[in-house]
Amino acid sequence: MNVRVLLTRPWIWGFAAAALVWVAILAISGQGGGQTVSLALSLAPYLVVVGLGQMLVITAGPGNIDVSVASVISLAGFVSVAAAASTGSVVLGVGAGVAAGIAVAAVSTVAILGLSVPPIIATLASGLVASSATLSLAGGFTAVPDPGLRELLNLRPAGVPLFAVAVAAVTAAVVAVLRRTVYGRSLIAVGQNRRAAERAGIPVRRVIAATYLASGALAGLTGSLLATYIAPTADLGTRYLLDSVAVVVIGGTLISGGRAVPTGVWGAALFFILLDGLVNLVGWSTAAQNLLKGGLVLLVLFLAGGGARTPGTSLPSLRRRRRPAAADTTTPGETTDG
Amino acid sequence: MADLTRAPALSPALPTALPTRAELRRAAPAAVSAVAMAVMVAVCASLQPDVLTVPGLSLVLSATVPLVIAAQAQMTLMSVGDIDLGIGAFVGLVTVIAATSLVSSPVTGALILLGLVAAYTVLGVLVHLRRVPSLIATLGASFVWMGLGLSVLPTPGGTTPAWLAAFGAWQPAGFPAPLLPILLVAALVYLLACRSGAGVRMRALGSNPVALQRAGLSPLAARAVAYTATGALGVLSGLVLASQTGGGDVSSASSYTLMTVAAVILGGGSFRGGAAVPWGVAIGGVTLGLVSVVLSLLDVPTALQSAVQGVIVLAVLAGRVVVGKVLR
Repeated sequence: MNVRVLLTRPWIWGFAAAALVWVAILAISGQGGGQTVSLALSLAPYLVVVGLGQMLVITAGPGNIDVSVASVISLAGFVSVAAAASTGSVVLGVGAGVAAGIAVAAVSTVAILGLSVPPIIATLASGLVASSATLSLAGGFTAVPDPGLRELLNLRPAGVPLFAVAVAAVTAAVVAVLRRTVYGRSLIAVGQNRRAAERAGIPVRRVIAATYLASGALAGLTGSLLATYIAPTADLGTRYLLDSVAVVVIGGTLISGGRAVPTGVWGAALFFILLDGLVNLVGWSTAAQNLLKGGLVLLVLFLAGGGARTPGTSLPSLRRRRRPAAADTTTPGETTDG
Repeated sequence: MADLTRAPALSPALPTALPTRAELRRAAPAAVSAVAMAVMVAVCASLQPDVLTVPGLSLVLSATVPLVIAAQAQMTLMSVGDIDLGIGAFVGLVTVIAATSLVSSPVTGALILLGLVAAYTVLGVLVHLRRVPSLIATLGASFVWMGLGLSVLPTPGGTTPAWLAAFGAWQPAGFPAPLLPILLVAALVYLLACRSGAGVRMRALGSNPVALQRAGLSPLAARAVAYTATGALGVLSGLVLASQTGGGDVSSASSYTLMTVAAVILGGGSFRGGAAVPWGVAIGGVTLGLVSVVLSLLDVPTALQSAVQGVIVLAVLAGRVVVGKVLR
């Protein structure tokens, strides 16, 4: 029964790990459990937003990954702060950050669809271009983030960060898009079996382009807000590359594509943020922080596994891991919807 | 260049001889990278004629050696259809061990390095038994490597053992020293991945795991061998890097993680697994390493260097697409 529940709800592992870390924090500090959650809720949304973009990309099928998010976050941070300072409008600033993300993603998209470059290389290359732009901007950068937006991001009525609520709404919107819209159904169909989706008349290239642009936009949004919340620096996004991929997969999204679990991104992001909190609380070094993070990621991963391993069934399930649609009967339904 | 000059000579046989065309198609990506490499050497030589002398070539090539070896490690893992996102941190960790334990007590240091290779084997076994994606497992492992490296050596430093430093400073007359490790490692990987039974099983695991199992062979053993080889090559890459930098720094190779993937793709490898292209990877890795040399010779501003690097990678791959279409 228990195993069944865990298997049907792939997002449970992230939340379980987060709860475990939270209990550990409670046990060590002995007080302020609610405060810890409140703090985690104000930091996790940034990781969630970039993670949602990464999730969409990974859902698009084997090989799809966006490794440009780190550079995009750093670039968008500078662009949005500069734009907000020069125009005086916060909305324009955030818009400029998002636009920067979309511009970088457009380079990746052209390379992926036009030149048939593998996505990891295409986004690596566009990320390199973005980091060059960041370095050019960073020299002699004086603009300061908008204090009004920073206050808004820090707003915590009754301990619940307003920003977290907003990002929860965004997550709900992503769930709705994936379940209810033609784009969402098409994306899942493409992720399960690209060729079948093509045969069913789904505009695969358009779906993939939209997915990378969405990831770029979400990373740009993260960068704009993060730069306002902290400060624009050239390595603002560095940790978000590995973290964004990790939260997506710990959250239960299939790395081989075709199954997206937006809720799981929240659980895994909370897990990561609480883990940072725990390490800071204990006063461990960066070394121990990395060791703990890596060890726990591996532990959760190996415990969750690719499903229960029963002798004799390993071969079909190995195939399923690689090509989900090969053993999945849901594809025809998915494609007729799209 | 050799591949390219051979290509036109073989082309008349294209319509009839299928194996030749397949062979040609397989060699095409590496040939395109070889052209890019030749162009880059030519640009270097036109800017600075000394590049073509033995010491010049040694200088230009030496920086690419650790990257090329790490790329061979990445290629080994990609041949079974996996990917290693922890190789950069792992190479960094090896430089740290080389600059600390290997100096103070060579036996302990050697044992630790062996332990690191064994850790890769265990990682491969776990990835296989728990059927988890290698991408995320190696990502998690990269945090562990980083943490281990930082706990041993929080700030870059240390010294390398005398024999390692001597290897780094070795300057034989007559040929550029860096060519030796590049060719030697490529030959070793070629023997393992393309000529041995273990290599066939590794590639079979990458292209058709079901067939491998039906043939009565163990996919687990094939994956374990691939991960062990990857770990060993990672250790080798770290040792060479330490011999050049003369110290340990866990984040000195962090760019390798993605650069090695790019080198494998430039060399004709693929994410789908089943292909082993050690010679192509050597060419791809040297090409990538030369980019930064060309850029510094051209006086490209530091801020723009990475952008140019990205554009060159895209250009080489675009050239590959064109060649692929011509050959189809």
